[in-house]
Amino acid sequence: MNILLCCAAGMSTSLLVQRMEEAAREKGLEGRIWAVSADEVMNNLDQAQVLLLGPQVRYKLAELKKEGEARGIPVDVISPLDYGTLNGKNVLEFALRLKRN
Amino acid sequence: MGGFISFLERRVLPVAGRIAEQKHLQAIRDGIILAMPLLIIGSLFLIIGFLPIPGYDEFMGGVFGEQWRTKLLYPVNATFDIMALIVSFGVSYRLAEKYKVDALSAGAISVASFLLATPNFTMFTPEGAAAAVQVGGVLPMMYLGSQGLFVAMLLAVISTEIYRKIIQKNIVFRMPDGVPPAVSRSFVALIPAFVVLLVVWLLRIVIENTSFESIHNIVSTVLAGPLNMLGGTLFGAIVAVLLVHLLWSVGIHGAAIVGGIMGPIWLTLMDQNRMVFQQNPNADLPNVITQQFFDLWIYAGGSGATLSLVILMLFRARSEQMKSIGRLSIGPGIFNINEPVTFGMPIVMNPLLVIPFVLAPITLVIISYLAMSFGLVAKPSGLAVPWTTPPIISGYLATGGKISGSVLQLVNFVVSLLIYYPFFRLWDRQKLQEEQGKAVTPSAAANNNNAVQL
Repeated sequence: MNILLCCAAGMSTSLLVQRMEEAAREKGLEGRIWAVSADEVMNNLDQAQVLLLGPQVRYKLAELKKEGEARGIPVDVISPLDYGTLNGKNVLEFALRLKRN
Repeated sequence: MGGFISFLERRVLPVAGRIAEQKHLQAIRDGIILAMPLLIIGSLFLIIGFLPIPGYDEFMGGVFGEQWRTKLLYPVNATFDIMALIVSFGVSYRLAEKYKVDALSAGAISVASFLLATPNFTMFTPEGAAAAVQVGGVLPMMYLGSQGLFVAMLLAVISTEIYRKIIQKNIVFRMPDGVPPAVSRSFVALIPAFVVLLVVWLLRIVIENTSFESIHNIVSTVLAGPLNMLGGTLFGAIVAVLLVHLLWSVGIHGAAIVGGIMGPIWLTLMDQNRMVFQQNPNADLPNVITQQFFDLWIYAGGSGATLSLVILMLFRARSEQMKSIGRLSIGPGIFNINEPVTFGMPIVMNPLLVIPFVLAPITLVIISYLAMSFGLVAKPSGLAVPWTTPPIISGYLATGGKISGSVLQLVNFVVSLLIYYPFFRLWDRQKLQEEQGKAVTPSAAANNNNAVQL
């Protein structure tokens, strides 16, 4: 599954990407997990199956949710606590749940 | 304090969100990002051109000839000096993207309209001549750089608005089926492009007959001048930093929102310094407040100047939670990324820690502004040092190789450490008590709930 993460500069989400990749390997999941800055998210959206936003850019949710719906891609905000503690496992589970619903 | 945070959440957050999501402001912010890598590369050449090593000039002159610096700085002319041109394309491209119209065409039309608004001649006084003569066939470089930034942004927005309105109203040439898509796309752009250029052309003709003489002069007198003046003051800097951190207090990326609005102003101020620095690296520079002033002297470790807080967690924490956040935060913190602190500690929605988080950076703004204004510390030289550069190194580089820049960062680190210390101790003790299974105070429980629900 391809999971796209987005925050303001794509920096702090890239920290989380590493943790999520580790968690995905443990679960034996295939796919790509990557982080981009807010200005690049539209150029990457079509390759994603789930889009997760850093809580600090949650003001983008309404706009990106609309874009996601048009493509059948679920979009949501990562829980601040999981984000702050870089809990890759929880965030991966969250992405999987979003995709399933 | 808890009531204040809920006030921020209810009142300020929606407004900030609307500003952040405003299409034109967003396009301007994203469009300017297009120029940043170029400015960083230009800065690299500037740094090499002005390495503060005794005997360096003579050595370089001896090896590469007298013109070495002029030649070395060629890339500066093609990066810093054309930033308005790049921004003109970038803003329009990003805006067209949001309207879902062809962004490449919109960008090209925007660049054309920007150049149409720019005088294609310059005034030159030949040696011995009494009056200046008009020299044609040139584009004055000064308008293509930071001085033309506001014109570029304005025309990008206006031209793209005209472009997309006409496209969306379907006033276009439709090509029959079988015509290659690229061909029909080029025709689609014809009518809107014509209207855009017609409007800008008329604007230029009218303005040429006024005392302003050019669109550039109007914009700098009415808009850019006053904005830069306001943005360059200590008061303006304090308001900006206050807003950034109030937004962060409720977990919103304040620097992205406030910087999105102030970006063009801080960039212009930065480039004014760069132009003076390039003439004479030891000259007194015009501005204290630039993009780098905030990125490098105020936000060491990230918004809130949290590097000192991370160091406290790393070496002084007694609770397991704070120790672990410290270990998690130090790596990114050195590169000024602090989401593990703001969301992990957390500072966000935490009535106790929000106090030093707002207080520390404002104190640093005042200290740094005064130190630079009084000449104790070198001002930022206008070099575009990326915000991810670690402190101490970044202060040296951004001042064009002056130790005082690093010293101020060190002073700021100590000041922020002192401001954070008592609050850190209180929070750490609370966490330790929780871990030891003692009764959790109601306020701590409430904080945790807040943080999770956010």
